[in-house]
Formats: sequence, structure tokens, C-alpha cells
Amino acid sequence: MNERDLELLSAYLDGQLSPSDSLRLESRISSDPNLRIALNDLRATRSLLRQLPSRRAPRNFILTPQMAVIKPPTPRAVPIFRFATALATFLFVISFVINGLMTLSASAPNLAAAPLSASQESASAAQAPAPQAFAANAPTETPAPRLMSAAPMMTQTPIPLGGGISPTATDTPAPEIALKSNLPQVENGQPIHTQSESSVPLDLEISFGILAIGFGITAWILPRNNESNFRRKWNKKKH
Amino acid sequence: MDEPALIQSAQRGDLDAFNTLVLHYQDALFNTALRILGDDNLAADAVQDAFLSAFKNLNSYRGGSFNAWLHRTVTNVCYDELRRKKRRPTTPLEPGIDDGDEMDSPRWLADPHLTPEGQAEADELEHAIQHCLDALPVEFRAVVVLADLQGLDYTEVAASIRVPLGTIKSRLARARIRLRDCLQGFAELLPAAFRLQEERS
Repeated sequence: MNERDLELLSAYLDGQLSPSDSLRLESRISSDPNLRIALNDLRATRSLLRQLPSRRAPRNFILTPQMAVIKPPTPRAVPIFRFATALATFLFVISFVINGLMTLSASAPNLAAAPLSASQESASAAQAPAPQAFAANAPTETPAPRLMSAAPMMTQTPIPLGGGISPTATDTPAPEIALKSNLPQVENGQPIHTQSESSVPLDLEISFGILAIGFGITAWILPRNNESNFRRKWNKKKH
Repeated sequence: MDEPALIQSAQRGDLDAFNTLVLHYQDALFNTALRILGDDNLAADAVQDAFLSAFKNLNSYRGGSFNAWLHRTVTNVCYDELRRKKRRPTTPLEPGIDDGDEMDSPRWLADPHLTPEGQAEADELEHAIQHCLDALPVEFRAVVVLADLQGLDYTEVAASIRVPLGTIKSRLARARIRLRDCLQGFAELLPAAFRLQEERS
């Protein structure tokens, strides 16, 4: 028996042949015992398969929201908090960078003058100059830490009211003023930064940082709270 | 069950509606997967994956037989699993029926009205049929499972496997003939009607 006849018999068994094809095949089956036997074999096989017991599913295959990755709608406040977090973080970073740059630029002259100061001191020690003369030259040759010691000396210098101006008095005031305007004040070798030197007040910078953290935490907690409420409601509904 | 309404709701993301469909179709899909894969645990995993995939791709369903659409999903998952098994074959830890031990399977509970002997015979016959199904090429197996075990018509089978109707007819005829030849090796298990046909042939 060829495959074409088997296909016809199989389709005939399932009622898939056209009426004319069915009639033609039926007349062949009645005259050909091989076709009849083959048809009965196919019918018996199909019947056997259909008798195969249907098994029940071993468990329920329902999907949970976690499996289906269903997320509850995001609360409207979340994008606002996310934007606020980003903004506060940006402002904090900007203020931090600006203040950092200001600090670096302010301390740069001191760093540059440090080696000079060391060499100057050794030279001064070797030459052992008079105190008055050293005080007069100090503003131009010594680094910032020396200035504080120089300044009291300047104030202690008597300034005559009348004509006779001493050489010391005439030389010293001018360099002192120039230094005060160009260099930061120093105390015990550490620069003192005043409010006017920093572009962003420290309080504001800290506020930006705190706000960034606060908004960030809120933006993180809100959706999770919302999700847990959603799951609780869903589970309640299922039971 | 208003199936079209449930499908529409599920397409809008209503998981409850989809789960109603799951409960309705899970037995059919499990049997399909079981007969294609021949393993309870693999079949259960395949059905779970199929429902998950069906929910995620529900918007690709454009009408027609939802039963056929779901069967296509589970058949694809079964094909993937068979390909994976072929790449990485595994040896079961539990003894199988070939070792002469009793099978630890829920099929013992299939029909509570049968006597223990009758149940044992039914179980052996089921095992013989499954053995012959496993011996078929997978594309033949899927066709015969969907058409003869699940009762899908040719159009639905064609939609499930995505092959032309003519191919379905050809595969089904050849699968039935191969099954007949295979089952004749288990003559003592077969019902009298089947044996009579065999003797006449």
C-alpha cells in the first residue's frame, strides 16, 4: 500500500475528505480488502490513543503577580521625588566642587611659598640680620605664617605725628596692606576661610546633601510601600 | 465561561481573568506536554512556562481557536525542552519501569473504579502507548498527540504547529501507521478489538 492511500484512509477516518473523494475511496475500500484492513488498523490505533486516560494536572498553574511581573501603578509623587533627588544631588555636587576649587586656589599661594620660606629661614639664620631690618623686609620675602608675627611688630612701631618719620615706619605699612588684601589670613599655619571667600555657604551645601538623601529615601520607599499594599490586596482577593 | 471576555480582560492585564483560563485549560495542556515529553515533572514545568509565555504574549493572539493558540505555546516549550535534553542528556536518579520496579506515578490513581489487576493492565498499556509515542519523531508525535489525544481538528493542529494542512494529513497518517506497527509488539496488552485487526492483517 502506498503512502498516498494511507493518507487518504487517515483523512477519511477523520472526515477530512471532500464528499466526492469520500465516495471514490469508499468504492475502492469495498473492492480492495487491503484498503479495508488498513482502514480498520488505523481506526483501532486511533481508538486506542483516544482511550489513553486523561491525567489531571498535578497542581494548579495559576500565575501570581510576581510570576507575571505585574507591577502596581507608580504613585504620582514618585517622579516628583525622583526629580527633586536628582536636583538636590546636582546642587550638592556643584556646591561641593565650587567650594573645593575655592579652597584649593586659596591654599595654593601658601603651598608655593612654603619652600621659599624654608630657604629664607636658613638664609636668615646664617646672616643673623637685625630684628628691625628683618621685620621691614618680611612682607616681601617671608611666607604667610610669618606675617602674623610681623604684624604685631608693625603695630608696636611708634608712628610720629609730626614730620620725623623713621625709616622703619615708612617701609613697613605698605607691604602689610598689600598682603592683607592678597593672601588669606593664617593662624597657627592653617588658612582661615571666611564666608566671603566661598561661593556657596557651607550651610546651604549641607542642606543640599540632606535634601538629596531625604528625597532619595522617600522615592525609594514609596513604590515599595505601594507594591506591598498591592500584593496584600491581591492575596486577600485570592482568598 | 465567557472565553472571549476573559481573553479580552486578560489582554488588558487582568491576571484573575487569565487564571480562570489557566484553570480551564491546564489539564489539557498538561496531557499534551506529558505525551510529548513523556515525563511528569518536565511536563509540569513546560505547562507553567507555557502559561507564563502565553500571558506575556497574549496580545499576539488575534482570535481563532484559543485552545489551538495555547497548544502552540506549550508545543513550542516542549520542542525547546526536547532540544535541551538532546544537547544535555540526563540519567534519572529514580529507577524506571525498565528496571522491573513499580513506577511511583500518579497514574496509579487514574481510575479508582478499576481493580488492582485492571489498573495494572491499564497502566502497562498506557506505558506501552507512551513508549511508542516516544519512539516517534517529535514532529509526528506532536501531530498525533494534538489530533488523537486532544481531539483538535486538522485546522487547529495546523495552527498549533504552524505547518500546512497537507503536511498535517501526511504526518498524522504516517504517525498512526508507525504507532500501529509499534503497538503490535505489545499484543498481549492490547484490547481484543485491536488484536483481531492484527490477526486479520
